[in-house]
Amino acid sequence: MKKDLLHTPEGVRDIYNGECASKLVLQNRLHDVCTLYGYNDIQTPSFEFFDVFNKERGTVPSNEMFKFFDRYGNTLVLRPDMTPAIARTAAKYFEDNTLPIKLCYVGNTFVNVSKYYQGKLKENTNIGAELIGDDSIEADFEIISMVIDCMKNSGLKEFQVEIGNVMFFKGLLKEAGISGDEEEMLLGLIQEKNYFGVEELLDSLKIDAHISKVLLELPQLFGSVEVLEKAKSLTQNEECLAAIERLEDLYDLLKATGSDKYISFDLGALSNHAYYTGIIFHAYTFGTGEPVINGGRYDKLIGQFGCEKASIGFSITVDSLMAALSRQNIKIPVDIQGLLLVYPSTHARYTLSYANQLRRLDMPVAAIKEAADKDIAQYRKYAADSQLEYVVLMNEATVDNQNEVKVYASATDYTEEMTLADILGGKLS
Amino acid sequence: MRYITIALAKGRLAKQALEIFENIGIRCDEMKDEKTRKLIFTNEELKLRFFLAKPSDVPTYVEYGAADLGIVGKDTILEENRKLYEVYDLNVGKCNMCVCGPASAKEKLQHHELIRVASKYPNIAKDYFYNKKHQTVEIIKLNGSVELAPIVGLAEVIVDIVETGATLRENGLEVLEVVCPLSARMVVNQVSMKMENERIGKLISDVKNYLEQKNDKTEA
Repeated sequence: MKKDLLHTPEGVRDIYNGECASKLVLQNRLHDVCTLYGYNDIQTPSFEFFDVFNKERGTVPSNEMFKFFDRYGNTLVLRPDMTPAIARTAAKYFEDNTLPIKLCYVGNTFVNVSKYYQGKLKENTNIGAELIGDDSIEADFEIISMVIDCMKNSGLKEFQVEIGNVMFFKGLLKEAGISGDEEEMLLGLIQEKNYFGVEELLDSLKIDAHISKVLLELPQLFGSVEVLEKAKSLTQNEECLAAIERLEDLYDLLKATGSDKYISFDLGALSNHAYYTGIIFHAYTFGTGEPVINGGRYDKLIGQFGCEKASIGFSITVDSLMAALSRQNIKIPVDIQGLLLVYPSTHARYTLSYANQLRRLDMPVAAIKEAADKDIAQYRKYAADSQLEYVVLMNEATVDNQNEVKVYASATDYTEEMTLADILGGKLS
Repeated sequence: MRYITIALAKGRLAKQALEIFENIGIRCDEMKDEKTRKLIFTNEELKLRFFLAKPSDVPTYVEYGAADLGIVGKDTILEENRKLYEVYDLNVGKCNMCVCGPASAKEKLQHHELIRVASKYPNIAKDYFYNKKHQTVEIIKLNGSVELAPIVGLAEVIVDIVETGATLRENGLEVLEVVCPLSARMVVNQVSMKMENERIGKLISDVKNYLEQKNDKTEA
C-alpha cells in the first residue's frame, strides 16, 4: 500500500464536496460585489520574476516566498500577494489611460510561512479589487463601501472595518527625523501596541519632547470616531492634520450612507507593506485571530514600474473568511437542486436519454448504475453529498414515462409520487 | 455576551496574575484549588474564562484568538515572536536574559569567533549573537538544566534567565553579558482588541490603575 502518497505537503490541502461548493458560492458572492461596482476581471500569472515582489514593492519577506529558477537562471516566485502584479499590469497596459481603471481578481497566493505555523495555509484564495488612477476621497469611499458590502454579502452580521492613515505616522517621523533601523523598530513596537517599548525607544533617541508625546500616544489612538478629535488636538504638524482631515471626510461620506456603524479607527495601525501611502484598513470579525480583509492606498507603487498612478485596493482572504463563518455557525446557502437517477443495467439506455432531456431543461442530473448491496438510504446520502436534491430509482419506471415513481428528497425524509413525464414537465422545480 | 478567554502561563506567574485580578474584583476561586483536574474555569458573572497553559503556548493561543488575552513572560514573547499586541508591563517576575559561562569564557565573546551556545531560547540567543553582536555561533537547543552545558563541555556559554544568580555561582559560572531585562506582560489578540475594545480596554486600565496605586504605596 502506498499510503504515504496520499499526503499533501504542509500548508496546502484539498477542498471537496460540500466545503468546495460553499467556497465557490462564497467566492461568487464576493465577486458579485466587484461586478456590481463595475470592476473588470484580470488574471495574472501564478509566478513572476522575483523582483516584482521584492523589497519596497514587497509584502512578504524574501525568505517566505517560494522561489525557483527558469531556464536562463532568473529567479521566479509564486506570487505571495496580488497587488504588485496588478500594479505591474497597470503600468504595462494602461499607461496612457487618464480615466480611472477598475480591476478585480480571484486568485491563489503562496506564502512559505515559518515553521512555527505548522498547519497554517501557505496557499490562500484571494479576491480583491484595485481602483487605479484616482487619488480622490471618493475613491477611498468606494473601496471602503465595497469592503463593507463584501462582509455583509458573505453573511456576517458582526464585523468591523478599521481605518488608519499611515501619513499620520510618517508625518511625525519626518518631523522627528527618525529613519532607517529606528523607524523599523518604532513601527514594530507601535504595531504591537507596546507602549513601554515605544517609551524606552523614544527615550534612547532623544527626540523633541512634543513629538515623542504624540508617538507615545499612538498605540492608544484607536476606537470610535472620537480618536480623530483627540489626535488632532495632539499635533500641529501639517501632514498629520491633513491625514486626519482625510479620515474625517471619509467618515462623513460613510455616515451619509449609514455605513458608519461598521467603522472604527486606529492611527497606530501601520503596515509592514511598505507600499502604502495613505489610508489603510482591515476588516475583522469573530472566529479568526487575524483580519479577513486588508487594504489601503498605494500612490507610489505603480510609479516603481515606471508610470505614476495613485491607487487604492483591498484583498479578501477567502479561506480565513470561510473559517470565520463556520466558527460563527453561519451557513453559506449552497444551491441544492437536481436529480440522482439510479438505474439497473436493463434501463441504461432509456435512463441516459431521459437524463439528457432533463439537462436540456437546465436541471442538473447525475446517473449511476444500481449496485446490488446498496439501499435507498445510501443513495440519498450520496445525492446529498453531491448537492443533488432528489433521488429516483429508475427500476420503478416503465419506458413510456407514464407510471408513477417515488421521488425521494436527499436531505430529508420527504417523498412524493409522480411520473417521469411530470418531472420533465417541471413538477420538481 | 461572548466569553472573554484569558490564558495564564502556568506556575508562579499564574498565581501573581490571579492575585492582581482578585484585587480588581475578578475572582476565580475554582482555579486556586490545586487538586482540581479541570482545564478551564469560568466566572459566569463577568463572562470570563480562564485556563492555564505551558508558558510557551500562551502566545500561540492568543495569536490564533483561542484566548483573547494572556499573561506571559517577556522571554516567551521574544522567543515565540508571534503577532500580538503587547499592551502592558505588569512589572512582576522581573529578571534578566543573560549570557553566562565560566569567567574564562569572557574572552570568547570579544573576537567574533565561532563558539557553541546552549539555550532553552534558541531564537533569542540567535538574535542576540547574529544581529546585535554580529558573531556567528552554533546554537544548541536544550530543554532544561542549561547550566550543565558549559560544565560538561557541551557549549562554551549559555543564554538563560537569571534571577538571583545562585545556581550560577554554585556551579562556578557567572553572568558575562546582559541580553535584555524581562518581566511579565499582558498580551492581547489583535482582533479581540478591536471587537471587544470596551471590555478588554477596561480590564487593562483596571489592572494598570491597581498596579500603579500599589507602586505608589510601596514607594511612599
